[in-house]
Parts: sequence; C-alpha cells; structure tokens
Amino acid sequence: MNKIEAKKVNVFYGDKQALFDINMDIPERQVTALIGPSGCGKSTFLRCLNRMNDVIEICKVEGEIKINDYDINQKSTDVVRLREKIGMVFQKPNPFPKTLYENISYGPEIHGMAQSKDELDQIVEDSLKKAALWNEVKDRLNEPGTGLSGGQQQRLCIARAISVKPEVILMDEPCSALDPIATAQIEELIDELKKEHTIVIVTHSMSQAARVSQQTGFFHLGKLIEVGSTDKIFKNPNQQQTQDYITGRFG
Amino acid sequence: MTEKPHTVKSYEEQLQQLTNNLVVMGGNCETALGNSIKALCNNDNTIAEAVIDNDTVIDNFESQIEQEVVDLIALRQPMAIDLRETVTALKISSDLERVGDLAKNISKRTKLINNNLPDNLTQSIERVGAIVQKQLKLVLDAYTNRSPEIAVDVWEKDEEVDNLTNLCMEEVIKYLKSGKENVEYGSHLLFVTKNIERIGDHVTNIAEQIYFLVNGSYLEGDRPKGSQPIVNGEK
Repeated sequence: MNKIEAKKVNVFYGDKQALFDINMDIPERQVTALIGPSGCGKSTFLRCLNRMNDVIEICKVEGEIKINDYDINQKSTDVVRLREKIGMVFQKPNPFPKTLYENISYGPEIHGMAQSKDELDQIVEDSLKKAALWNEVKDRLNEPGTGLSGGQQQRLCIARAISVKPEVILMDEPCSALDPIATAQIEELIDELKKEHTIVIVTHSMSQAARVSQQTGFFHLGKLIEVGSTDKIFKNPNQQQTQDYITGRFG
Repeated sequence: MTEKPHTVKSYEEQLQQLTNNLVVMGGNCETALGNSIKALCNNDNTIAEAVIDNDTVIDNFESQIEQEVVDLIALRQPMAIDLRETVTALKISSDLERVGDLAKNISKRTKLINNNLPDNLTQSIERVGAIVQKQLKLVLDAYTNRSPEIAVDVWEKDEEVDNLTNLCMEEVIKYLKSGKENVEYGSHLLFVTKNIERIGDHVTNIAEQIYFLVNGSYLEGDRPKGSQPIVNGEK
C-alpha cells in the first residue's frame, strides 16, 4: 500500500525550477532511497513531503502530495500537526542545547501526548530504546545532548523524531557525518524502524541506498529519471542514465 | 550498448584488463582444442605434449582472473553492468579452464594411442571437433563484441553438436565391437568423444553468461537437446 503519492510535483526557487513533474509513490513501512548527484533535487523533493520548503520564502511548490490520501499542500493543513506525523532527521546531528531527557520529552510535551510525568518518562525511555541509545545514556539523562558522540547525537535526533510517533520519517543524509560503525548502527536502526514507520532517505552513498532500501528513485537535474525496486535499480536499471550514475560513469 | 568510460580511470582499466585476460585465455583454449584434435587424428605426440604443457598457462589465467574479480568486488563494489561483467568473468573463466582440462585429457589419451586410427573414425572426430571449435570461436566473438545475438546462435547450435557427438559415438562403438584388440583404443576414443561434447556444453554455458552479461536476464527455456545419447551401445 502507498503511504505517500506525489503527482506532478513542480518546485521553483524564484525563477529557477528545481523539480519537474515528479510522480512517485512511496510504499508504507518500507524504506525508499532517493539518490542522485548534488543539486539534482532529491533533498528538495524530500522537503516537500513535510512542507519544509514553506520556510524558504522564494520557494513555490505545485502539484499534489497525498499522505494517507490527504493532500498536504492544501491551505488548511496544520503544518505543525503534519510535521508531528512526518518527522525528519538531518545531515548534521542537531540536538537541542538541553538535557538528553528534554531533547526527547520536548516534542511529546508540546503535542500534549503525555498526561503525567510517568507517561512522559515512559515515552522518553521507549524512544531511546527504539533508537538503540537507551543502554548508553540511561544513567545520564540529565546531561546535555551535545555531549554525546556524533553517532550517538544522530541516534538521539532519531529518538527525538520517533518520540511523537510519526508515521513517516524523512532522513536527509543521516550518516554523512558518521564513522562506519555509527553508520552501521543507524542502518540497523532503519531496518528496525521500518517495521512501524515509512522511511524516505536521501543518501549520497550508493551502497547505503542498496543496503537499507527496498525502493530507490534516481534524480537528475530536477527530474525523476527512474524509480523501482532497489534490487532492479542496482542490478539492472532500465535507464542508461541511472546505470551511468550508479556505476560511476557520470559527467 | 556501449558504455561510457568510468570517471575513475584506474577502475576502467581494471575492468578492461579483466576482459582482455579472458579473451586471451579463450584464445589459448581455442588453440588447445584445435591442437588436441589435430594431434589425435595425425597421431602426433609432439603436438599432444604441447597441449598438455600449455594447460598450465590456461590454469594460471583462471587464477589471475579469480584474483582480479575478488579485488574488483572488494575494492570497487561494482554495480549493475560492472557487477555482471565481474561475476560473468569469474564464471566464464571457470568454464574455459574446464575446456583446457578436457583438451589436455584428449592429448593424454592421444599419447596412449600408438597406431594410426581408421579414417572413418578420425573423420568423425574431426567433424565434431571442428563444429565445437567453431562454436568456441563464435562464443568468444560474442564475448568480445558483447553480442547476445551471436551467443543465442551458439546456444541453439548445441543441438547439432549433440547429434554429431552421437554419430561419432556410434562409429566408436562399431569400432569397439569389431574386435577385442580395439577395446583399449576404443575406450579412449569414447572418452575423447565425450570430452568434445562436454566442451560443447561449456561453450553453451558461456553463451548463457554472455546473454546475462548484456541483458541482465537469463536465457529462458531449456537448452536445445539433440538425439538421445546412446546407453550401453543401444539407442
């Protein structure tokens, strides 16, 4: 079943068109990887999925993006509620300059998800456990989040994203600043998270896309050149451009 | 489909080197097969000896290609067409190595045959040998040109190889039956014929690999089979 359906999505930054007629279905509880060279529009597309482009003044998004059959580009959409349902993890870990506990509790608190301190404690614990960070931080929840290593900070950000029980998690190059071990931990986490969440990940690492995703979309110059099962894309893509890119024959 | 060169030149060179080695290895196998049949039919032990000696060269190519494939997988992580290039090179080299072994075996048996064989037998063996040699040459052309069309032609022609092998087998069995003194040489010739047929089978394996290499999908359907092989001398 499709969680997200994008139809004829066009994005403009001022006069410059960044995305051209993107049609893409994103299946539920699977990992979809978006690949392509820098500036191809993959991050722009990712940011369309929770209306993060709204914060860029000159950015204009056209077309239909349906999540659970609801067009999120409608004027009446409550963007804060939308981003509660569609969380995001960025390239550089960006914990709040607060305690580990507060990093996780902030979201559930402002969304009124916990009725008592006990409930909030439970959400914090569950989120950290799901992000495979609990054992490493359970004895120092009152220390600042910024004191963790890069890989731990990124898992903290993932824990923060899942604390509000999003249906979709968007990840924009979540491992680009991490070492191979921390990367493997995040990839293992992605495998676990897909049981409950739909994940869309932008990555420059072809091997990472191949390892973690079930569907892959290849973007080039603002166009979605090819989308299909990851297996097909990396073994025998339909488009010559896709093959040139994944085999390192580009440019 | 002609591919653009890789951005990283050394990667391009490594893949090219792999192809080159396989082509040279194939050339050695062609020579080995041709010479093994020539040696047998002309009762020429010098040529037979050369085939036996040269098998080491073919074996070394296989090890070299295996090493290159492992390096490519470990260090370059090839994808799509490059992955198929790499994996098929490994499989084709293994088929070619067997072709070399079978030719060597023909030559070893040649050395044990000291008399001239009857003309009808040598002609039969030459006939099936010639078609298998042609198949091997064609399949190597298919590899060099990345031509699935030639590969399919080769694959389909295996039926003819099977039929000629069976005819040849019948000749050898007749020879065996014609006198007790023929049992020793006749037995060798049965193996020789079988070896040639096995080389034909390796050639079709290679054809299948080339098809997969270019198209990324497998040749469908059963391989065409010729007439039923003879069991216990009866059809």
